[in-house]
Formats: sequence, structure tokens, C-alpha cells
Amino acid sequence: MKQLSYLILILLSLCPVLLVAQETAIEIIQIADDRARGVESSQGVMKMTIVRPTWQREITMKSWSMGSGYSLTLITSPARDKGTAFLKREGEIWNWQPSIDRSIKLPPSMMMQSWMGSDFTNDDLVRESSIVVDYEHKLIGEEEVEGLMCHVIELIPKPEAPVVWGKVVARIDKKDYLQLKTEFFDEDGFLVNTMLGKNIVELGGRLLPSRMEMIPAEEEGKMTIIEQQELLFDQPIKESFFSIQNMKQVR
Amino acid sequence: MKKLLSLFGIIWLIYLPVTSQEEKPRNWSLSGYVKNLQSVYSLQGLDQPLLDNLIHNRLNFRWYPHEHWTVRVEARNRLFYGDFVQLNLINGDQIEMGNNDRFDLSVLWIDKPSWVLNSTLDRAYVQYAKNSLEVRVGRQRINWGINTVWNPNDIFNAFSFTDFDYEERPGSDAILMRYYLGTASSIEIATNLGDTWDERTTAMLFKWNALQYDFQLLAGWASGDYVFGGGWAGNIKTAGFKGEWSVFTPDGAGGTETSFALSSGIDYVFGSGIFLGLGYLYNSNGTTTGTLATLFNFNLTAKNLYPFKHAIFLQTSYPLTSLINTGIAWIYSPVEAQTLFVNPTVTVSVAQNWDLDLIGQLSWNKDQGKFISPFSAGFLRIKFSF
Repeated sequence: MKQLSYLILILLSLCPVLLVAQETAIEIIQIADDRARGVESSQGVMKMTIVRPTWQREITMKSWSMGSGYSLTLITSPARDKGTAFLKREGEIWNWQPSIDRSIKLPPSMMMQSWMGSDFTNDDLVRESSIVVDYEHKLIGEEEVEGLMCHVIELIPKPEAPVVWGKVVARIDKKDYLQLKTEFFDEDGFLVNTMLGKNIVELGGRLLPSRMEMIPAEEEGKMTIIEQQELLFDQPIKESFFSIQNMKQVR
Repeated sequence: MKKLLSLFGIIWLIYLPVTSQEEKPRNWSLSGYVKNLQSVYSLQGLDQPLLDNLIHNRLNFRWYPHEHWTVRVEARNRLFYGDFVQLNLINGDQIEMGNNDRFDLSVLWIDKPSWVLNSTLDRAYVQYAKNSLEVRVGRQRINWGINTVWNPNDIFNAFSFTDFDYEERPGSDAILMRYYLGTASSIEIATNLGDTWDERTTAMLFKWNALQYDFQLLAGWASGDYVFGGGWAGNIKTAGFKGEWSVFTPDGAGGTETSFALSSGIDYVFGSGIFLGLGYLYNSNGTTTGTLATLFNFNLTAKNLYPFKHAIFLQTSYPLTSLINTGIAWIYSPVEAQTLFVNPTVTVSVAQNWDLDLIGQLSWNKDQGKFISPFSAGFLRIKFSF
């Protein structure tokens, strides 16, 4: 009897491993990405805080996205940048400057620039690249993060992908497919940034980390926090919402 | 006019105590800034540098009375004092002139030998927008430029990069109709109001998107000339590639020649964060001789964006830290005068809503075989946005 219960225990403990072994790395990434972005679309309000040892700056914004191809981001504070908007349609990005009444087409290389002085790049916010489409994925192990067992997946950018990283290592929790820890490496293999997903709450009807911390490597006391204040998934939104006309009008 | 401005002042006073406690979304907004610009000029032929000051407040008021209607009114209140006012290099009449288009929406509160206080509405329009149609009537900015630095297509409100302190630009008293044909294409017709045809600009702009490029074509009448132009904005690999051109053909009576302006440029951001922009302007109305001192008093229009025939532009900028951005722009004209204009800038985010700028404007040109500096200027600007 004792032996049987041991056997059952061993089998039970193996179960999740056996189950996930059937999932490929790309499937895990796909599920995690759908969960964080919504299968069809998402819209939300967030606050970004740039933290440095002696000061902080806050930026608030509203964003709408559809798939990985379309997004619209509107800055709502600070006062200096209020009303500035960014539109992404497939491979093209426009910036709206309300004070000068002008939309400016942005070069793709600008996507890798820091987003308004933060540790996030423009690309992280406007989501030019896709963790599903732009990388080759490999399951390389498992690891515990914040008490949750995670898949460890290595992402190597495809040759033509609009990505600045040499390699990305993502830790995605096995139960709810949450991206809990992601490391970004440069082309020489050095760690550049670590992104942590924290404060897991129900957002838009699903469990998600509501707080993302982007921590630059080897820079004591520096990080950028993004707090998701509102989030809705798969609301009816048309592709025509992501237009130059709407970039100028959205409030 | 005065009533309008007083009303604006009252709105602002009401707004101040309200902001902290308001809860539900309101159908209007008020924003703006206060800035202080301290300038030092060194001019050729003057022993002493000139010191000048400008305190500048801007109020941007928007009201959304109905789903389809927007009212936008923006005012700038400026107080000038210092050597420029004392020496009558700046005076009230001049400021009034520069502010106004067809209608007088400017008030000179004080015009003394030592200081000048002026208020102007540089935006005052009503917009109706429904489905794909937008109609705007009133004082507005019509910005048709597509390139980064020089904009020959900007036939309503041409911009000069030396005038860094007025990025909003003066408005035109105009009517604009815009119809969106798709997500990145539109057709626009605009006309500004002028007493005579020589003061009027009426033109049509067609924008479309193909092969991941934005394109535009314009045709019309611009202050005495038939104008025809076009532009593009796209990418070569991951670098931005933009340009625009315009041809101005006079009516015939004036006897002047056809003018042509072309500008183009490339911009790129390196992984390190260094921004690099390279551009060129051909201006058939430009000269090949003379000094750079003309940069501040030539008649800037889309037809004549820079005093010289050729100009090469190089700009680099680099974020030193998250709070400090540094940059330097060079404009060189490979003409007989060999003019060089250098514009270094440092921008510091001092606090959440406070910015500090240090700006230099330096110049050199060849004069009678020798290189001289006709002027150099330094600016310190502190800005509080709300």
C-alpha cells in the first residue's frame, strides 16, 4: 500500500512534466502572448515610473492594440507631452505632435531608442516586434520564479527581424502562462535588461502581472516600472481605428 | 478682442482650484506653459554683448461641446525686456505685425521704451469632424511639411529652425476641409483669407500610402505664385528617408522667375542611442554671397527657406542620461560665402514638469577673403508645463 501511494505520488508529480512535454516552445510563447495581449485586441491605461537613485519621473498613457500588427498609444501626462500619440500599422510607425499639428513618420531604427528616457525601448511600448513571429524558440529547462514553476524558453531573433537583442530568455509559469521573468541579452551575449512580472491580479477577466519592472543590468538603483491600471481584452475594435485620422483625434 | 482675452483669463482662474477635485471626465481641457528665455547676443561691430529677456506664457484651451465639434483657442502672453527693447530692435508694432494674419487677434498691453507686453491668440478655430470629413474654420496651423528640417510644402506656415522658441508657429486665418480616403490617405483643400490675391494661398493636398511610403502632391496658388509640389516619407532599411519639393511660378505680372525648392534627408538611430540626421536643401532663391546675419531678418516662406542656394544639414543627438539630452546641428552652405551655422543644445528635465534648455547659435562666413563670425548667441530657457 505504502509502495503504491509512493508510486501514485511519483506519477502525480510527473504529470505536469508529461503534459507540458507535449507543448512546444512556440506554443507556450503563443499562449503567453495571447494571454498578455488578447487574442484579438486589448486596450488599457498604464502608468510608467522611471526610477533612479535620486529621482523619479512618471508618464501615463492609454493604449489600444489589435494583434501584433496594430497599436495606438496616447500620452496623457506629463503636461509637456500630453496629446502626443504613436500609431503603428504593420511595419510603419507615425508620431503625432499636437502642438505643431504634424504627424511624422518614424524610422524603424528609432524603435530601439529609449521610450521617453525610460528603460523600455519604443519597441517595447509600441510593440513593433512580436515574441511569436520574430524569434526562433527553444525550450531549455524549468525554473522557479516567485514560488511558481516556470518553463525556460530561449528566443533567438530571426535574421531579418526588427529586434536589437541577440537573445531573450523568458520564464513562463506553467499553470497560468504568465511571463514572470525575461532576460534580454545583447549580440555579444551580455545581459542588458531583466523584466519582472509582479503583483499578479485579475485584469480584464484573467490573471496577469499588473506590474512590470524593467531593470538594467549592472546599474544599481535604476529601473522602470509599468503599472497596468485598466485593461480590457477583445473588445470590438476595427482595423480602421488604427488610422492617422484617429491618431489625431483620440482622447 | 480684449473681452475675449479677459474671458480666457477667467477660465484659467476657475480652472486652477478645480483641477485637484474633479472626478468625472470633462468636455474641455486647459494646458500650457510658462517659460523664461534669457538671451545673450554678440553681434559683429558691437563692443558689448546684448542681453535680452522674454517671459512667455501659453494657454491651450480645448472644448468638446458635442461629439463632432471641437473648439480650440490658444493664447500666448509675452513680456519682453532688455537691450533689444531698449535699442528699439524689438518694438510693439513689430510684434503686433508678426502676430497677425487677416484678423487682429493681438493686444499690446504695454509698449514702453523698456518693456513690451503682448497677448495674441495664435489658434482660434472651430472644427467639425464626422466620419471621414473634417472642416476647420478660424485661425489654425496648416502644416503640410513631410520632411524633417526644411519644408518647401509648408506653404501656409513655413518654419524656421532658428526660431526654436516658437515651435507652435503663428496661425493662418483659414478654412480647411479634409477628407480621409483611408487609414493613411486623405485629400485636403485649404484657403487662407487675405485682402488681395497676392496675400492669399489656396491649395489642395493629396496624401496616400504605397509600398510602406507616405506620398503627397499639392497644387494651388501661394501668395502670387502658382505652386506645385510633392513629398515622400519612407525608409531605406531601418533609416528614415524623406523629402519634398515645390515649384513656384509667378503670375507673370511681377516679372520674377520660377523658383524651385527641394529638400531631402536621412535619419537613423544607432543602438547606442545616438541619433544622426543628414539633409540637403536646394533653394533657387538663395544667394551665394552675403553674411549669415541675414538668417534672422530674411523673409522666410516655403519659397525661400534659407538665405543661401545650397545648404547641408547634419544633426546628432545623444541622451547622456534619462534626464539630459545633448545635441548639435550644423548647417553648411557650399557657396562663395562658405557659411556655417552651428546649433548646440542641452536639454535637462529638472523635475516632473520643469525643463531647462541651454542653446547656442554660432555662425561663421567668409567676408572679403576672411572668416568672420557675424553673430553668436546663447540662450538659457526654463520652462514649466501644466
